[in-house]
Amino acid sequence: MATTGASDGASAAKKEGLVTLMSGDGEIFEVEAAAVAALSVTIRHAIEEGFGDRPIPLPIVGARALALAVEYCRKHHSLGGGAGEDSAAYDDELRAFDHNLAKVDRDTLFDLIEAANYLEIEGLLNLMCRTVAEMMKGKSVEELRRTFDVSNDYTPEEEEEVRREVSWALD
Amino acid sequence: MEGRRRKMTEEGEGEGDDGAGIGGFARLPEECVARVLAFTTPRDTCRAGLVSAAFLSAAASDAVWANFLPPDCAQILSRAVRPLEYSSKKELYFRLCDPILVDDGGMSFHMERSTGKKCYMISQRTMSIIWSDHPQYWRRIHHPESRFAEVAELLSVCWLHIGGTIDSQLLSHRTTYAAYLVFKLAPDSYGLNSTSQFASVKLGAYALENSVSLQPDNNEDDSDDDDNGGGDDDNDSELEDDNESKDADEDDEEARRKKVKMCLREDGWLEVELGEFYNDEGDEGEVEIKLYETTELHWKRGLIIQGLDIRPKL
Repeated sequence: MATTGASDGASAAKKEGLVTLMSGDGEIFEVEAAAVAALSVTIRHAIEEGFGDRPIPLPIVGARALALAVEYCRKHHSLGGGAGEDSAAYDDELRAFDHNLAKVDRDTLFDLIEAANYLEIEGLLNLMCRTVAEMMKGKSVEELRRTFDVSNDYTPEEEEEVRREVSWALD
Repeated sequence: MEGRRRKMTEEGEGEGDDGAGIGGFARLPEECVARVLAFTTPRDTCRAGLVSAAFLSAAASDAVWANFLPPDCAQILSRAVRPLEYSSKKELYFRLCDPILVDDGGMSFHMERSTGKKCYMISQRTMSIIWSDHPQYWRRIHHPESRFAEVAELLSVCWLHIGGTIDSQLLSHRTTYAAYLVFKLAPDSYGLNSTSQFASVKLGAYALENSVSLQPDNNEDDSDDDDNGGGDDDNDSELEDDNESKDADEDDEEARRKKVKMCLREDGWLEVELGEFYNDEGDEGEVEIKLYETTELHWKRGLIIQGLDIRPKL
């Protein structure tokens, strides 16, 4: 936690092993390069391309989602692939961490999917997509619209055509 | 794009500038929606496509449907008697929900539509049917309603012993299956409901045995039997037999009641469940399925076998 959070600028000389990220809404995060580079393909590439000294702009990632994504990277970097006798305990701790992270509200859930997709954090993306999938399972079309605030944008003719094709799945 | 997203967050959902309610879900890139759907089921995915046009393309994408196809799909297709033509993974999925012949017509394959679980029918030709190489006991004939080239008709035996095997690796993992005998009864069938007629299913250390009847049981629930036997206009003689045996002793009555009963399938054939088993990781070798009456040895006749159906128990 110590290095996460907004600082007042990106001009400060880089501390050893840190990288600066800038969220789409302009917040600055100084984080351990090794942790985020290990989990996020996008950030790894940015660092490789020499962004290490300047803030890496992440235009479509909001500050709240970025903070959570960084937390995810840290946790998984420090405990992931844990070797030796602690590995089982690490696995349990990671599972518990993931489980808690997936309890975020619905809007944050979709923000995190978008962030993980952009940052190419495979584990986080799958975790969140699986969470949404579990919310969808077994729900009727109407329940899905209500649960996810999605309105029916089909014309009656289009809807009828799609409905005919999937009629077997509706009862 | 970023500006639009933030604006919507500030103004609240459902007030997007295009009028349609755009919750966070509909805003996701198609590849993300597809990734979500790939974690659901074929049924949930079809429903999602109807929720909003925003999901329709993801709900039809190869990324999703490839995930619902069996892991050994390519191998199954290579075993098909006739090559399958398809233009998308979704189309292939639904093609495979109708049975296709594989292994030179020795088996058929299809998938259970709502889950994509694998189902096989072992044709009578691939089954082991004792005495079937003697034309006075069994004969092979063409049957217009069979998916296979031939069916096996029992002319007359005392010793009834039929069975089949399937490699558990071919079946879906972590799934409870049941095996069914798929058959019809000839008009003059008899002797197929002995109380010592058993079915067994074995897989690894697991074994299960059931008493099964291949004829309508008229001792109880006549109306039900009428339904089941709808396609068979031929059980009048059986009815008389059973009525006469109504005063049989109680043990016999009990055994009769416990018997697994046959029922009518949607395709017009009859089936009886021979037993269920749990296929965990598909690494326990062959599933052995048998049906036999080798104790009483009364004469039997008129069993017309299409094959053994192995499908998930719902």
